[in-house]
Amino acid sequence: MKTMRIVAITVLCLTALTILGASYLAPAGYEQQFRETPQAGPSAHHPLGTDDLGRDRWARLLYGMRVSLTLAPLAALFTTVLAGLVGGIAGYYGGWTERCCKLLIDLFLSVPWLFLLITVRAVLPLNVSPEASVTVTFALLGLLGWAASARVICTGAKDLMKSEFVWQARAQGFSGFKLVRLHLLPNLRGALLAQFWISIPVFIIAEANLGALGLGVAEPLPSLGSLLRELQDVVTLRPEPWRLLPLAVLIVVISSFQALLNKQEVRA
Amino acid sequence: MELLSVRITISYKDKPPVLDDLRVDLQPGEILGLVGHSGCGKSSLALAILGLLNLKGGKALGSIRWNERELLTLKEKEWRKLRGKEIAFVPQSPMSSLNPALRLGTQLEEAWKLHGQGGRDQMEETVFRSLLDVSLPAKEEFLRRYPAEISVGQAQRVLIAMAILHRPALLIADEPTSALDAVTQSEILALFGELNRRLGMSLLFISHDLVSAYTLCHRIALIHSGKIVECNTPQAIFFSPQHPFTRKLIAAIPTVPSASEVEESLRFNLFNS
Amino acid sequence: MALMGVVSVFAQDGGELRFCLRSEPKTFNPLLVEDEASETIRYLTGGVLVRVNRVTLKAEPELAASWKVFEGGKRIRFKLREGLKYSDGTPFSAADVAYTMEQLMDPALHSSTGDAFRSAEGKLVAQVISLSVVEISFPAPVANLVNLFDTVAILSAKSPQKEMAVLGPFYMAERKAGSYLLLKRNPNYWKKDAAGKQLPYLDSVRIDIEQNPEIEALRFQRGEVHLINTVSPAIFEKLSADNASVRDAGASTDTEQLWFNQVPGSPLPAYKKAWFTSTNFRRAVSEAINRGDLARIVYRGHAVPAIGIISPSNKFWFNSGLKPHPYDTASALRRLQQDGFRLQGDTLRDRAGNAVEFSIVTNAGNRTRESMATMIQQDLRKIGIKVNVVTLDFNSLLERMTQSYNYEACLLGFQNAELDPNSQMAVWLSSADNHQWNPKQTSPATAWEGEIDKLMRAQAASGDEHKRKQYWDRVQQIAWEQEPFIYLINKDALVAIAPAVKNAAPSVFRPQTYWNVETLALTQAH
Ligand SMILES: Nc1ncnc2c1ncn2[C@@H]1O[C@H](COP(=O)(O)OP(=O)(O)O)[C@@H](O)[C@H]1O
Ligand SMILES: [Mg+2]
Repeated sequence: MKTMRIVAITVLCLTALTILGASYLAPAGYEQQFRETPQAGPSAHHPLGTDDLGRDRWARLLYGMRVSLTLAPLAALFTTVLAGLVGGIAGYYGGWTERCCKLLIDLFLSVPWLFLLITVRAVLPLNVSPEASVTVTFALLGLLGWAASARVICTGAKDLMKSEFVWQARAQGFSGFKLVRLHLLPNLRGALLAQFWISIPVFIIAEANLGALGLGVAEPLPSLGSLLRELQDVVTLRPEPWRLLPLAVLIVVISSFQALLNKQEVRA
Repeated sequence: MELLSVRITISYKDKPPVLDDLRVDLQPGEILGLVGHSGCGKSSLALAILGLLNLKGGKALGSIRWNERELLTLKEKEWRKLRGKEIAFVPQSPMSSLNPALRLGTQLEEAWKLHGQGGRDQMEETVFRSLLDVSLPAKEEFLRRYPAEISVGQAQRVLIAMAILHRPALLIADEPTSALDAVTQSEILALFGELNRRLGMSLLFISHDLVSAYTLCHRIALIHSGKIVECNTPQAIFFSPQHPFTRKLIAAIPTVPSASEVEESLRFNLFNS
Repeated sequence: MALMGVVSVFAQDGGELRFCLRSEPKTFNPLLVEDEASETIRYLTGGVLVRVNRVTLKAEPELAASWKVFEGGKRIRFKLREGLKYSDGTPFSAADVAYTMEQLMDPALHSSTGDAFRSAEGKLVAQVISLSVVEISFPAPVANLVNLFDTVAILSAKSPQKEMAVLGPFYMAERKAGSYLLLKRNPNYWKKDAAGKQLPYLDSVRIDIEQNPEIEALRFQRGEVHLINTVSPAIFEKLSADNASVRDAGASTDTEQLWFNQVPGSPLPAYKKAWFTSTNFRRAVSEAINRGDLARIVYRGHAVPAIGIISPSNKFWFNSGLKPHPYDTASALRRLQQDGFRLQGDTLRDRAGNAVEFSIVTNAGNRTRESMATMIQQDLRKIGIKVNVVTLDFNSLLERMTQSYNYEACLLGFQNAELDPNSQMAVWLSSADNHQWNPKQTSPATAWEGEIDKLMRAQAASGDEHKRKQYWDRVQQIAWEQEPFIYLINKDALVAIAPAVKNAAPSVFRPQTYWNVETLALTQAH
């Protein structure tokens, strides 16, 4: 268990360092097209070779990690806080408040998001920088991703409100924010953490898929999601294992997150 | 002058009242036993005195006078100052009444912070003193444990320690021993008696078990059909019960069979075989 | 015909030919065909009066044994083959042709196949002269009239099966929505090979619906499908690495182009409208784009830099006086300077000091277009222009292109199904809906658009090929100089044909690999 945590911490620290040092570690800019050597295999110049347009894959991976691994956890945090707030409030107050929150949740789950996202793209100006576009996309994902888990949190909070230790806490004089902070939140921690770490890869992939709606990262900026999307053809036809590195990075980083954050659950 | 004086009618939703104009008084320093069937409304009364009944969807009419103050008309803000500080509560099932996600130390500290005055030293001193009061190890190691890591008896002691942190004038114990084995049960009863003697705090001891009430209480009140049908000293209740309900309860108490009785039944069985 | 006789000796009879379509056919009514999948079904099942040979590009007799055109394309008389029967046994006669033409031109049907025949207001008259002779008259001459009949599948006026009774080599036998279509050999098909053997050689054609080209390619590799009509350059390279079954059929007439929004009423700021309507600006952008790199990198060499409206591979109609657009950033900057632009640091600014920045929109999900836009982005960076690449779903893109005009530059491709450029009139007339850079003009916005309008009308009204060619040469010249469309590349027609398929003669025209489906055959191994 302990070694697992050490490994996880090391991986995350390394990741953080790579993200911060992307500009030093990358042999070239992520947008620079080496037009004489497109689709090259790994070499001293390009450790992971070059992509279809001759751009250095290693540089693109580094910058893609920087984009996705900073924005996705932020969006996941945001969505988890939202889910916790709405679900928590619904479960805590119950009754009328709960019905309102549930209605909001159902509304959110039934809205045709595709349509809404297309509308968002329509009101967004065309001349936004790739950075702004990807930030807006992750913000949208964070804003929209909370509903399903808010429902889980609400049920959890409601059960907790009925539990004996919460009655006991009330009898001790706990109420309001203190009751929530000490007695609800620590017991919803598992559900909230699950929501958090599931959201990260989901958002990373969703960002890439929103590219189909003109949202998400725009050329030439890479994101982990857009790099993963390029893998589509590897699966079927190309025997180029080094191109799978973005996928490996995603898996390793997410597992590390999980290993670290779930330490509390191991006890129970 | 009474510490607590209750005249109360409790009902849930549109159902007929659970307690119907129940009247009971409690003197300072007194241990009052409240005995009745399961479901007769004992816990409801405890909740009403703690001002938590409305959260369960119950309604209390009448009056609850506490130290000359009317509690039923109290604002929630005032209630909060009372709960845990002047009136404390010990629940029925100790294991599920502790927050499983927090260390014992944290729970005690947070309970202290609610009403306690002073700094960290003050807090630690109070917590350790309370632990000693309930004969728990006043050690850091113990405080670092989670509820899942202690026994039921210890859990009940932790809850009692938490309840007496602020030296309340009244402790309401709602069937505090019914989840415990016989030995632990008697230990906890002894602890209540000792706390009452040493700290002079009143105790409202709620139970469906007349025998434990007999060993602990100064006075026993019997609830039946929403009313107190009899209220007297344990001796009077046991040896000259007035109300048919009381008599029925006493008759239902299992006694340890004497050696001659065992012999009798054996002989009877031999004849029949 | 002689050639066919020779190859048929080697071919084995029977078997099932398999290939994929991207989507389900939207209709089985041959008159209502608009999408490629429906067109495929029409091609395989429908009998037509005239078939355009996709290799020689000459009209060949099919249901019509011969024809004669009168009054420069105003009237046509067909002499039909006799004794033919529909797939359900219903006999075929001149009345069926008249019925089909009347249905086709019924305004209530809104047939886009019919639109091609609508040269002027007025009704068409289809007159049955005898059982095997029919004469069709139009209110005005129709350009390219005979070839248009290639798209008109003749319905039966009497068959109870309606449009499911067919005269083509196959009939629709079975289908499962979203999964596959199974066409079976039409036992009543009229055509025989030189040896007198009845066609088609194949027993059936199975068409699977497969949206993903990668999976289609994989299935081709596994031998599960026999043909792919359009192979992307990337897949072409991968497939050609392990066998020789892919072919580059040569430059197609399809183009990819970039254009700027010149609509006066668009919501763009005035200074941007001024850039986009400036010929110097458009030509500078054109000169700064390295078309050679686009063809070499994005298309992996399976494309050629485009010169203009008509691809050089269209030898007759191409204006051979035109040269390739130069790639010359220095010249591009000179042109920009003429318009008051100047380079400040690495940013190009206009006379008023606005930094030159615009977005290129293209349809999402099309890697090649996205790649081209990304390369153009880097090319234009060299002359200080900042480009943002925006991919949009097709509907949003169309909405911006045709209704809100809220876009700056657009990168899309046009498919030109025919060699005769007459069909492009719908793009080049300034009043046309498809005059993309500034559609539906009430009067031409520029002198050169006015001149093109005149040339267009002249070529449409003329029956003389050489006169028409002269008009079209001038139109190409104007388009080359003004560059309302910045033509980028002409892509090659890349096809994949399994070795098991015999008699294949791939063409750059649709349907590239199975245009001669009735003479295709499979070797026994498959
Ligand atoms: N939340 C509630 N809603 C409705 N009825 C309740 C509720 N809680 C308790 N009751 C009813 O009130 C009666 C008294 O319950 P309670 O006070 O828990 O009894 P005791 O503690 O003596 O066993 C029971 O009959 C029970 O059915
Ligand atoms: Mg009870």
